[in-house]
Amino acid sequence: MRKYLPALVLGLGALLVSPIVAQGEKTTPKKDFDAIKLPTAAEVKELQGFPSEFKLTGEDDSRQLIVTAILQNGSYQDLSGDSQYEIADPKIARVTTTGRVIPLANGSTSITAKFGNSRITVKLTSEAMDQNLPISFSNHIVPIFTKLGCNGGGCHGKSGGQNGFALSLLGFVPELDYMTLVKENRGRRLMVTSPDFSMLLTKASGQMAHAGGKRMDVGSDEYKLIRRWIAGGTPFSDGKDLEVTKITVFPEQRIINRNNRQQFAVIAHYSDGTTVDVTQRAQYESNDPDIAVVDGSALVRSLEMSGEAAIMARYQGSVATFRATVPSGLKIPTYAFGHRTIVDKHVQKKWQELGIVPSDLANDETFVRRVYHDVTGTLPTPKQVKEFLDNKSADKRDKLIDQLVETPEYSYYFANRWADVLRVRRGVNNPQRAFGTFAFHNWIRESMASDKPYDQFTREILAAIGDESKAPPTVWYRDLQKPEQFVDDACQLFLGVRVACAQCHHHPYEKWSQDDYWGMAAFFSQIGRKPGANLGVAVQNNAPGRQIVFNKGTGSVVNTRNGKTAVMRALDAPPVDLKTGDDPRTHLVDWMVDAKNPFFARAVVNRYWAHFFGKGLVDPVDDMRVTNPPSNPELLDALAEDFIKNKFSLKHLVKQLVKSRSYQLSAMPNEFNKNDKKAFARYYPRRMSAEVLFDAVSQVTNSPANFAGLPTDRFAPNRAIMLPDESFPSYFLDVFGRPQRISACECERVAEANLAQVLHLLNSQEIQTKLSRLGGRSDQMVKDARPDREKVAELFVWAFGRQPSVAQMDVAMTNIERNAKSRQLAYENIIWALINTKEFILVQ
Amino acid sequence: MLSFQGAKQGFCDGISRRNFMKIGAFGAGVTLADMLRARADASNAPQAAPTRPKSAIMIYLPGGPSHMDMYDLKPDAPAEFRGEFRPIQTNVAGAQICEHFPLQAAMWDKFAAIRSIASVDEHSDSLVMTGKSQRENMTANHPSFGSVVSRVRNGQSSVPAYVSLRGMSRGTEPGFLGIQHRPFSPQGPGIENLRQLTTVSQDRMSDRRSMLETFDGLNREVDANAAGLDNFTARAFEMVSSGGVRNALDLAREGQASRSRYQGVEQFLTARRLVEAGVGCVTMSIGGWDTHGQNFQALRRQLPQVDKGLSLLVGDLHERGLLNDTVVVMWGEFGRTPRVNNNAGRDHWSPVMSALVAGGGMRMGQMIGTSTARGERPQERRYYVPQVLSTLYRTIGIDPATTFLNGTGRPIHIVENRELVSELV
Repeated sequence: MRKYLPALVLGLGALLVSPIVAQGEKTTPKKDFDAIKLPTAAEVKELQGFPSEFKLTGEDDSRQLIVTAILQNGSYQDLSGDSQYEIADPKIARVTTTGRVIPLANGSTSITAKFGNSRITVKLTSEAMDQNLPISFSNHIVPIFTKLGCNGGGCHGKSGGQNGFALSLLGFVPELDYMTLVKENRGRRLMVTSPDFSMLLTKASGQMAHAGGKRMDVGSDEYKLIRRWIAGGTPFSDGKDLEVTKITVFPEQRIINRNNRQQFAVIAHYSDGTTVDVTQRAQYESNDPDIAVVDGSALVRSLEMSGEAAIMARYQGSVATFRATVPSGLKIPTYAFGHRTIVDKHVQKKWQELGIVPSDLANDETFVRRVYHDVTGTLPTPKQVKEFLDNKSADKRDKLIDQLVETPEYSYYFANRWADVLRVRRGVNNPQRAFGTFAFHNWIRESMASDKPYDQFTREILAAIGDESKAPPTVWYRDLQKPEQFVDDACQLFLGVRVACAQCHHHPYEKWSQDDYWGMAAFFSQIGRKPGANLGVAVQNNAPGRQIVFNKGTGSVVNTRNGKTAVMRALDAPPVDLKTGDDPRTHLVDWMVDAKNPFFARAVVNRYWAHFFGKGLVDPVDDMRVTNPPSNPELLDALAEDFIKNKFSLKHLVKQLVKSRSYQLSAMPNEFNKNDKKAFARYYPRRMSAEVLFDAVSQVTNSPANFAGLPTDRFAPNRAIMLPDESFPSYFLDVFGRPQRISACECERVAEANLAQVLHLLNSQEIQTKLSRLGGRSDQMVKDARPDREKVAELFVWAFGRQPSVAQMDVAMTNIERNAKSRQLAYENIIWALINTKEFILVQ
Repeated sequence: MLSFQGAKQGFCDGISRRNFMKIGAFGAGVTLADMLRARADASNAPQAAPTRPKSAIMIYLPGGPSHMDMYDLKPDAPAEFRGEFRPIQTNVAGAQICEHFPLQAAMWDKFAAIRSIASVDEHSDSLVMTGKSQRENMTANHPSFGSVVSRVRNGQSSVPAYVSLRGMSRGTEPGFLGIQHRPFSPQGPGIENLRQLTTVSQDRMSDRRSMLETFDGLNREVDANAAGLDNFTARAFEMVSSGGVRNALDLAREGQASRSRYQGVEQFLTARRLVEAGVGCVTMSIGGWDTHGQNFQALRRQLPQVDKGLSLLVGDLHERGLLNDTVVVMWGEFGRTPRVNNNAGRDHWSPVMSALVAGGGMRMGQMIGTSTARGERPQERRYYVPQVLSTLYRTIGIDPATTFLNGTGRPIHIVENRELVSELV
């Protein structure tokens, strides 16, 4: 069998070569373009061509032209794939229908793109076509593996490789890949004397069985380049050893109509200042494929929905994004939208770009329930609702907000949210940790109540020294032990950046390398810990006692990429010059809280935005990166700037957000914003969180909880949002998604609904006990002398903050009449029905 | 201390690890998005014959069972190693197991033992349930086998995908998959919620239900999930009135004859009934195996129970035609010292341990791997716990190379070492 194989492959190869060379210049099938509405010739004012002049070097080079029509109405239309191209000297180069220029011979010429009567001419020079240019393994060959997915995490790039062949993930360690390909297994993967029979090529092109399938065609650009590299003796270096310093895209941003398209080009910039078009070699991904999709040649197509999409381009270690704004294209009516805070201006600008109209302002009843919930984690009482509704002053909403941020509930609610991500957890079988968690929780709550500036708050955590009685934030140093853990948590929590990937390999969606990662880790390499005597308490079973955190003054971490001591350096910052006696963490905090730091203020502003608006400007909130850009960058910048200017005041930030008109919109969509997912043109409803819902049920049923392990007197904490740590057993809280606080990720809190939750509200002994409790709401209502109608109306206000409709009142009254013998049963039924509605568990 | 059925299990360090949390978050939590997705899929998919997804039963022997007294006897080793038990011949030529396992011996064609697994010295079910040790899980928070099943099978069934009959422990935790993939634990309120409340009659329930529909003032346009929530409510009512899971857990519904067969090892019966009801992964435990002292005395008491439970379970599954769709695994945290100590006990020994597997259409009737002459180390075919888990995942139809995102957004494989136990597949 073996004997016949080469002949077979040869035959197959010959058969495949001719048609497939043609495929290299073939465009995406025509039918994909049919739906696009092109401007008429008269609508086009002028054409623009990018680049206006360029040079092609060698047979592997090519260039993507971007032809843009500027229309009479001032808007832009991409015509890169719709212009007619004419080349002055067709011997020098040719142009594909998609606007890609491929050199044929040395010389200079020009290309003219025509559309209707408009035309634009660009000049080009082609050289080195007669030379066999040297090939660099890392700059020319490795990117092919990345583009074709060979070195992806699901394939040969995963640790240990695939079927005995291992490449570095996404090609970040070319030296290793080179050894693997050229030397490993006695060089069986490459055959210099007969390149076409190299296993690398026969497998990748599907001529030999390959579990990963056919990745390239024989004769394709990739095939030819690899073949030439093998035939040239598999050199590692081309003698220049250039590195990609960055990639850029053109254009960076465009407004594209729905069902339209946009070609963009990607340029790699090398360390010697040269640039190369890598449009065909980079990888692409859309962050919102409902709005726009992209193919392997950087052709973006907008779909039926309007909105914004970021298209990531990745080439070697660099990333860049192209942002597509897709307006609705609807004719929108004029509307009044008075600006109240800095939020409104920027949000409205986005609506105008997208062609959407915001919902109306929420009415007072909706607003009062929403603002109590969002700011204090507590539903308003009927008395509070009435006071607000009866108040006729024009600024009553602002006044209420000012008042709410000064309540104890505000500090408890936000302490609860911060404690989630600051790992205020006792864990299992760790009763002795309660002292610390209580102290840390209390410290957070007091910081919220006193509006401790956020930079100070961060400093006291990140540079904590002492034990948990003197410095409660040292509790954070219980769960976190290794420098790597501090890097992951600190970056995610305070910078909104997830760098964990870069611990072991270059971050696949960011510029962060292992050097960046270990540079951050170095700041946490000198943390000392020692046990403190537990005064008057015997420590049992080796249980950890008091822990004192201090600065050792020595210590370092090893960068696992090169096995050397890591250079202490914050992200994108110069190395730190550490003086004797300095605590490195202080340097880190200094860098963070600097007004010019691009991460710190934006991260917290975004986190708070997500809390009040239901979704981060960057989403998820702690995953800010070039390839996951904010939906409204100007707004994020403005809010961060305002936050810094106001001395990192969190209460100021809350007011800035909540007092905005944008926050106070109704949740009810209109025909223009019904598909809106991230322009905040209406309030996005959300489910109450586990603790808040628990408290709301307790409040409506007037059956407060008591939690095991806390005092039982009447001053004891009896609300779930007041709980200091995660260890208080409650099926209710668990089933509704209370986090275990095992990570710095807000995503640990489950916001999704599930069947078990519904079942618990519907049919649990816990809820039934709350409903029927002696002295509870039903019991009170039975004993209350007021007419039933009045009492039913009050129950609706407790639950929904609004009055019942006539029909709802009728149904409730019928139930009371039917249960005339036991009105307690009737009231239990009514309250049960109220707390089981969607209207109750959702805030709108 | 080593009570057989009881809740409490003592270990040598004095900490009880079983049942410290009796809550179960009804881990099968079918989330809304999953359900909508499942429905959308169902409407698009061509109507294929329903195939039964395969299940797993994971039997955990807490404390670390003595490998040399169960499936890896060394009759030729010196007396202080070989211990007090003698091997017996099984119905498969060449395969011998402990004399206290006569029932398994008679049907060894339906079992296989791996005798060359390396473990870690940790009193924790973390490694055998998640593939990572407890120490690694301090930071990795790797999900347990059952939680992965729950995550993968989400929304495919109205019964929970993952049930723990032994409460909660590190090894049953969902880790970064999120709390909704915790096992359903039948001791907690989760199961109570399936029962109609005594104080709320059927009539009263329908009264409440009709009021609920009128009261809800939420406009459906406001929230895309509204329809799904209503669907949950309808299904919740249905679960309470029909009660599939509740019935599976209710052994009273099993015939008297069957119940008396399983007397003393009822957990095995519950596990079988849950698998029959469509549960994807059941975990249970039996006995206490941290036999630092009086090892043989304890084992004389416990081995026959294990023998009885296992043979009934596997025999029943076979008779009902379910054995090929159900994989059974039984193991503990490590082996025990080959040399018997002064208290007639054996201490912790992590270099080698055994695992028993059955079902799932795997190749049975064999002994896989060997340990050295005195049972001290793997000799041939050394395997690691994740490889066994990989094989189990594959057997029940889950690709071991499946990844899920952890809290930092990094894709994590459900098992890292994905080489299979090739003798089994």
